[in-house]
Amino acid sequence: MLLFRFLSRLGGYVTITLPEGCLEKFINLAVSRGVFLWDVTGIGTGRVAMKVRLSGVQALRHVARMTGCRFKIIGRHGLPFLVSRMKRRQAMTAGALIFVAALYVLSSFVWFIEVTGNKLVTDQAVEQVARQAGLKQGVPRWTLDVPTLEETILDQVPGLSWVGVYVEGTRVYIKVVEKKLPPPDETGHPVDVVAVKDGLVKEILVLSGHPEVKEGDTVTSGQVLISAAIPPPVIDEEKEAPDGEDALEPKEQQPLRYVHARGIVRARVWYEGVANMKLMEKGAEITGRETTRFGIKLGSKEIILIGPRKLPFEHYALDIEVKRAPVWRNINLPVELLTVRYYEEKLYTRSYTRDEARRLAGRNVLDSIREQLPEGAKIVNERLEEVETTGSGTVRVRAIVETLEDIGIDKPYQYRGGGSGA
Amino acid sequence: MAWKDLKNRFKRQFSDYLELPGDIMLDLPKIVLVGNLQVFIENHRGIQEYNPQLVRVVVNDKVVEVTGENLTLRNILPDEICVEGQINSLSFYN
Repeated sequence: MLLFRFLSRLGGYVTITLPEGCLEKFINLAVSRGVFLWDVTGIGTGRVAMKVRLSGVQALRHVARMTGCRFKIIGRHGLPFLVSRMKRRQAMTAGALIFVAALYVLSSFVWFIEVTGNKLVTDQAVEQVARQAGLKQGVPRWTLDVPTLEETILDQVPGLSWVGVYVEGTRVYIKVVEKKLPPPDETGHPVDVVAVKDGLVKEILVLSGHPEVKEGDTVTSGQVLISAAIPPPVIDEEKEAPDGEDALEPKEQQPLRYVHARGIVRARVWYEGVANMKLMEKGAEITGRETTRFGIKLGSKEIILIGPRKLPFEHYALDIEVKRAPVWRNINLPVELLTVRYYEEKLYTRSYTRDEARRLAGRNVLDSIREQLPEGAKIVNERLEEVETTGSGTVRVRAIVETLEDIGIDKPYQYRGGGSGA
Repeated sequence: MAWKDLKNRFKRQFSDYLELPGDIMLDLPKIVLVGNLQVFIENHRGIQEYNPQLVRVVVNDKVVEVTGENLTLRNILPDEICVEGQINSLSFYN
């Protein structure tokens, strides 16, 4: 039926009216001639309206002549009539066409350019280069050559490591990724490598600077490991030739040199931790069942709108969310929307044997120590020992973890009187 | 008309025996009512009367009368009529 309606609209149909008196004859004759009629309705005043396809109207004229009733066309619908109306109103048709064409044409230009992802490089710098490469406002989209554009921007804007150009509609996104440069080396200011924590130096590798410790040394936090100050090389010849003038000269020529000290100092570091575990543990855990109550708070009264009146849980935790009207001109509405979420909880008591408690405590303390460890630390040794406690209800476990890690960190050089500080 | 009655009786018994539907064998109308909103009448012989309160449709050798409010003929095809509106009654008479 839908298809039929659609086809009628395509081919065009008219609404005709007939006097009621000769309707039956007319319809029967029309139907027998294969003219399809539909929506026959009385419209009052003794006339009946019906719809017929444009192709049937000619046949209906014969029927009308034979039955002697005249019909009147009161409505025209469908595509053919629309086209003829359009023909009469050419300016409007032209306007509609121009509108569509303008929309199409304008949508094929670039109107917006957005640069994203830059922090240090300015938008202007990127846009400037893009403009020279042929991307600016009002440029037709088909002239854009995305790969060369990306290449040009990458080449000509310093400090970029990747550029992506995306055309989305009339908008062009230039996504850039900046180079991550290492922090500028303050050549003016020398830097030491100092220890961040206590440890026993296992190995030391100096890239630049003067080592202040050697393997096997115990160092404390803050101690200089690799000094920025490099003393002049001790030349044995100096001693062999105790010529007063000559001996002084090389010292003057080679004073302390200051550098940015670099190097890796691996040391054994010990971590210690203690954990207690009760043999009898009490607590509450969330079961996963929850219910939500939604209500209005009027002053001190609370009205529950949605949700159970009586809570189905014995023990629960709750989470209250309050929504209130924004305060305006000191008028504070005493109305709040409350959403309260109840999470059911189950109380539990667990008892452990001494062995279990010891194992659990050990696991906890080791976990907490592992969290403290810096990246790259290698665990060499783990040791657990039980500590005697006075109370019989708890088990206390101490853990000692030995790691091998780089303990050096950069610190600006400070003058330490003795120069090399050794 | 005794001969025609006899013929009709024979046809009816024959179709009953073979369980053939009556609308094919005996050329009877098939009327489908959808609530009181629509009535489809198949196998009709034309319209006898139409106004928004009353529609009469000729079938085989009888007339089907549909009464109601705001009746419209939604479709008129050579073998099917669809009447729409608020239907109050449907009756047959000779």
